[in-house]
Amino acid sequence: MATNEEILKKIREKFGDAVLETSDALGEAAVSVRRDVIVDLLKFLREDPDLAFDFLMDLCGVDYLEMGGFERFAVVYHLYSLKHNHRVRVKAFVPENDPRIDSVTELWAAANWAEREVYDMYGIEFNNHPDMRRILCPDDFVGNPLRKDFPLQGIGYRESFEKIDRESAQ
Amino acid sequence: MGIESKLGDNILTTRIDSFINWARKNSLWPMPFGTACCAIELMAVLGPKYDLARFGAEAIRFSPRQSDLMIVAGRVSIKMMPVLQKIYRQMPEPKWVISMGACASSGGVFDTYSTIQGIDNFIPVDVYVPGCPPRPETLIDAVMKIQKKIEKERSAQYR
Repeated sequence: MATNEEILKKIREKFGDAVLETSDALGEAAVSVRRDVIVDLLKFLREDPDLAFDFLMDLCGVDYLEMGGFERFAVVYHLYSLKHNHRVRVKAFVPENDPRIDSVTELWAAANWAEREVYDMYGIEFNNHPDMRRILCPDDFVGNPLRKDFPLQGIGYRESFEKIDRESAQ
Repeated sequence: MGIESKLGDNILTTRIDSFINWARKNSLWPMPFGTACCAIELMAVLGPKYDLARFGAEAIRFSPRQSDLMIVAGRVSIKMMPVLQKIYRQMPEPKWVISMGACASSGGVFDTYSTIQGIDNFIPVDVYVPGCPPRPETLIDAVMKIQKKIEKERSAQYR
């Protein structure tokens, strides 16, 4: 088991210029990086024998609207090492005007549906994803519901269905 | 035993509509379309304490082909609505619909992008049941209202 300091030190040494920020709060290591190194970084974390983060526990999106992130969106990767029993969170920041990032389905097949959910809810596209479609909302849905500027109520998406009345039902 | 002892060797006359409606209202076969907590109350109605069998409606059928009363219990999402419509179309005539609870009737507290604001936007509803979720007594009242409605129907209105 490597300590959080050792994990973050290794990442800083290898990807120094791409690391925006590292933190070790409440015993949880987190690192914020530029989006262009994300596949290389996660591959390094997975294959380095001292780190061996072999398990992608979660992959989710964050909308930092008015919350002061490096960019508007982030994609967060929660990694766990079954071998060494240690964890790390990796945040890759994605700008609003070009919301796309490389897919990690090559490294973990489990990322497939998680990335589709981030695409559905935040509109962040994943390059090289095998099946980049919406996963929860209907296919012809317009908008991204978990964006902070999405209206909380009253968005009437009900026009495209037929209405069955008593005459047409018989 | 029964009515024969009173009537002896006689016959009863009635109108065909009254006879058919009498048979229909006392042998409703519900199709449960339960998607949320209302379905739990629906199960309580079918259980021994509230016992919908007293009203002849205990034969729950999970196939729409074999049922004539659909009970929509719970919120219906936009993706679920085509399924609900398909199941409604699969039910043979005559058929009735109970919209059980606030969510199915009006969307309830879920005034969001994903929830249908009342199933009566898309399928005909006969009786609405208020409550979140409704008490079992309220659903029994709705079934009795359906029975009263059936009493007044004319069999020629169905093909």
